[in-house]
Amino acid sequence: MNMIVCIKQVLDPEAPLSSFKIDPATNTMVPVTSVPFVISPFDEQAVEAALKIKDAKGGKITVISLGVNLLRDVVKKPLSLGADELILLEDPAFIGGDSWSTAYALAAAIKKVGQFDLIFCGRQAADSDSGQVGACIAEILGIPQVSVAKKVEAIDGKVKVDKVTTDGYEVVEVPTPALITVSNELGEVRFATFKGTMASKKKEPIIWKPADIGAEPAKIGAAGRRIKTRKLFQPVRDSKCEIIGGETDEDKAANLAKKLVEVKLI
Amino acid sequence: MLMTRNYFGFIPGYALFWGVFVIALLLFAYRIRQLLQYMFLGQKETGYNSWGKWITTTFAYVFSQLCQLKNFRFKKDRAPLGHALMAWGFFVFVLFYFFFFILAEGFGLAGLEKTNFFYYFAWVMDFMAVLIIIGAGWGLIRRFIIRPARLKGGQTIEALIILLSVFTHPFAFLFNQATVIAMGEAPAGLGHTLLPPFSSWLSHLFTGSALTVIQNWHIAFFWTDWLTVLLVLVYIPYSRYLHVIASIFNGIFEPRLPKGALKPIDLEHAEFLGIPTIDKLTWKQNLDLYACVVCGNCQEQCPAYITGKPLNPKKVIQDLKQQLLKAGPELVKAKAKGEPAPQNINVTLAGKVILEDEIWACTTCGACDTTCPVWVKHIDKIVDLRRNLVEQSILPETAKATLQSIERRGHPWRGTTLNRTDWAKGMNIKTLAEDPKVDILYWVGCTEALDERGIKIAQSFAKLMQQAGVNFGILGTEESCCGDPARRLGDEMTYQAQAQKNIEVLKGYNVKKIVTGCPHCYNTIKNEYPQFEGNFEVIHHTELIGDLLKQGKIKIGKGDYGSITFHDPCYLGRHNDIYRQPREILKELTCTKMVEMEKNRKRAFCCGGGGGRLWLEERIGQRISENRIDQVIKTKAQLVATACPYCLQMFEDAIKTKQAQDTVKVKDIAELIAESSAK
Ligand SMILES: Cc1cc2nc3c(=O)[nH]c(=O)nc-3n(C[C@H](O)[C@H](O)[C@H](O)COP(=O)(O)OP(=O)(O)OC[C@H]3O[C@@H](n4cnc5c(N)ncnc54)[C@H](O)[C@@H]3O)c2cc1C
Ligand code: SF4
Ligand code: SF4
Repeated sequence: MNMIVCIKQVLDPEAPLSSFKIDPATNTMVPVTSVPFVISPFDEQAVEAALKIKDAKGGKITVISLGVNLLRDVVKKPLSLGADELILLEDPAFIGGDSWSTAYALAAAIKKVGQFDLIFCGRQAADSDSGQVGACIAEILGIPQVSVAKKVEAIDGKVKVDKVTTDGYEVVEVPTPALITVSNELGEVRFATFKGTMASKKKEPIIWKPADIGAEPAKIGAAGRRIKTRKLFQPVRDSKCEIIGGETDEDKAANLAKKLVEVKLI
Repeated sequence: MLMTRNYFGFIPGYALFWGVFVIALLLFAYRIRQLLQYMFLGQKETGYNSWGKWITTTFAYVFSQLCQLKNFRFKKDRAPLGHALMAWGFFVFVLFYFFFFILAEGFGLAGLEKTNFFYYFAWVMDFMAVLIIIGAGWGLIRRFIIRPARLKGGQTIEALIILLSVFTHPFAFLFNQATVIAMGEAPAGLGHTLLPPFSSWLSHLFTGSALTVIQNWHIAFFWTDWLTVLLVLVYIPYSRYLHVIASIFNGIFEPRLPKGALKPIDLEHAEFLGIPTIDKLTWKQNLDLYACVVCGNCQEQCPAYITGKPLNPKKVIQDLKQQLLKAGPELVKAKAKGEPAPQNINVTLAGKVILEDEIWACTTCGACDTTCPVWVKHIDKIVDLRRNLVEQSILPETAKATLQSIERRGHPWRGTTLNRTDWAKGMNIKTLAEDPKVDILYWVGCTEALDERGIKIAQSFAKLMQQAGVNFGILGTEESCCGDPARRLGDEMTYQAQAQKNIEVLKGYNVKKIVTGCPHCYNTIKNEYPQFEGNFEVIHHTELIGDLLKQGKIKIGKGDYGSITFHDPCYLGRHNDIYRQPREILKELTCTKMVEMEKNRKRAFCCGGGGGRLWLEERIGQRISENRIDQVIKTKAQLVATACPYCLQMFEDAIKTKQAQDTVKVKDIAELIAESSAK
């Protein structure tokens, strides 16, 4: 089974809100040094889904990441977990893209890799949360796509996917090649072993420039962008705490219910 | 009368004497060789150095019996004294048998017995014999009748043989001497009127008996005496008597690391991590196993054991020893053939020989290492077992999350809403990036920077330094976890990455002197960073506050806390010997009475948060922190002061879960002094 996983390097989504600043003039984030870069957590789960299949059926896992200044310690993580190869689309020309232009570049790279049975993406990137890249890649490559998977099993020529729905999950089957986007319901990801980390230190990523993947300059990065950001801002959350009183516990409960009806919460 | 000149039938006495002696020596040597073979299955040891110099120290420690007597005050049954009596008796007896049995009887140097040397020695031995009888008698009563908890399960045949042989042997000796005296031989007949009292008193039993009868008695007692001696000799390497020999070497080759430091792994070249199987211990770690005398002191002090966790440090050592002895023969064979050891015998230690729940229960508090009379190290083995589990990715979920957080974000406080400089907002504290020319770097530490309760310590301490005019700075966002939780949870890789990163930053700013309020950072930077060429002068905030008070740079005001007690953080006290400074500071608080808990200083009871346990769930038994708060409440103190952000957090939680908020409060020393000087 040949698998490809797309991973995105993002600013730690768990960093405290106070660490992020936005420049309202340019509608972009002010670079901060105090927040570390990590692999988008859903993408880690995508890697885990591929590793599980590799554990069960064997196969090869190629990891692709697009960006600039990709930190080697960060993007090489899947190699230390058991992925086989790492391809970086690293070039200033890729900066400033949107979901479509990113997917265009990734799809071009995937075509260059050639052989694949399964492509894994995260259900959405932890920074911009659009959840479109996966679908766009599948569209460009003309292959079926299953989103928000919590379990993926390979059964000769097909994959069985448990797909998260609002009130449970749906079991679907798709023929390969296919693209699957993976959700956090997949569960805990594995922990890098010492041997894996040491081996990954010796492995160097393959770096592809736009020309290497035959990408048209007008379709990638800022040039290929179709979406324009109107406003980027941090919502101000104001929470007020009101203690509902009452003579007895029953009174308090009744007052609370009244209040909730009043503010149209129930 | 020299026994060896007698004939027993046609067998000459000396032939019999040497015959049994040589058999005993062979049995002894056979077992010692076997034990050495097992021991040197072990890996290279790098921890000890200049061991020659430690020979005298070790012998001094053993001969003075300080190894035992250091625990004397804390043992209600006074067992250490019993042991000291037996040991001193043992040393003197060994000399006696060397001179007057081996040289005099064995080599026929009969003249030795006709000297004053013998006369005086006989006096000493007379008293020693009685002291040993008392010591061993006390041991028998203790172990088989009183049965203290720490010796539970120790009522073995082995213990009985050992104690009985120690107990009966002086009787044989005294009766042997009595018969000699009754026959009018040395020490009688050397021209001294006063003879050794006990044996000469016993010699009256023979008054009036015919010489031949006394001679027969003498023969009987001589051989009983000599055979008991040989029995003990043979039994030494086959039983835990082995500690008599092994402990001395264990002392000499004790790793000379700073107390709180763990040994680094050479990650570039390591073929395995920690101790996957018994043959992967170092030979010195194996020697530890031989030295253990199963006294149970460590068990008695272990906070995990006391609160009902499956961990018992004594059992860890004994289980490893059993595995070494069990697998030893096959491993030696395989090694000789150059084959790998059979896997069904050389089983995985972590999870099979020592269970995971035991391995994760340890807080690395060091109570066991500190109390052990024979230099056995427990923490190194427990952490080595963790290292192996981590390598296999077998670790509690919360540990995983903590380690991943350290690796990614440089701190263990996943989900914190604070960043590293939030605590200092509005306090006008500079970072080294803004001004590197400071006298001292304040290393804040993750918990004092990122934990809601912890930042109060940082704010208080910074205020005190500002008041005193100390020219200090912080690293701010450039500070990263010192690595203590990672190293102690067994993730050496993450630890070393953190250490290297921090050392680089510190060297980049040419930092020379560091003060920190966290004993874990203190221990790591001071005792472990030198392993990676990070040499900095590190002091703890209690040391700096103490100095500033002495210099009059901070004034202490009223500290009306009623009565107050101090909890020694393990990494400040036991691992770094800072006991005096915090107490001196607390004494300065007026209107406050200082009381001690029963377990204080070297024997303080852990808060439960060390060794990475702060980030693990404590599901089995009583919470260690709650047990400690019970101890605080017992002193009737209204406040427990501490000097560690981990302890503070553990106790805050324990006080809440015990709903004891109205009875007792917990504060860091820096908070107390800052509050009082503001008054
Ligand atoms: C260095 C860099 C600079 C950027 N600068 C800007 C900017 O200035 N303005 C702006 O609006 N946007 C910027 N972006 C965002 C970016 O161009 C796209 O919006 C984003 O890469 C794709 O869309 P998404 O985040 O919505 O991904 P989603 O559609 O939410 O991602 C879904 C999945 O697609 C895959 N994926 C997404 N992106 C990548 C990738 N880069 N490499 C590999 N797999 C990926 C992952 O598996 C991910 O889980 C930048 C991105 C990077 C990496
Ligand atoms: S270090 Fe502390 S918790 Fe660990 S075994 Fe020793 S006494 Fe027990
Ligand atoms: S390890 Fe030390 S303290 Fe523990 S039982 Fe053995 S000898 Fe006693």
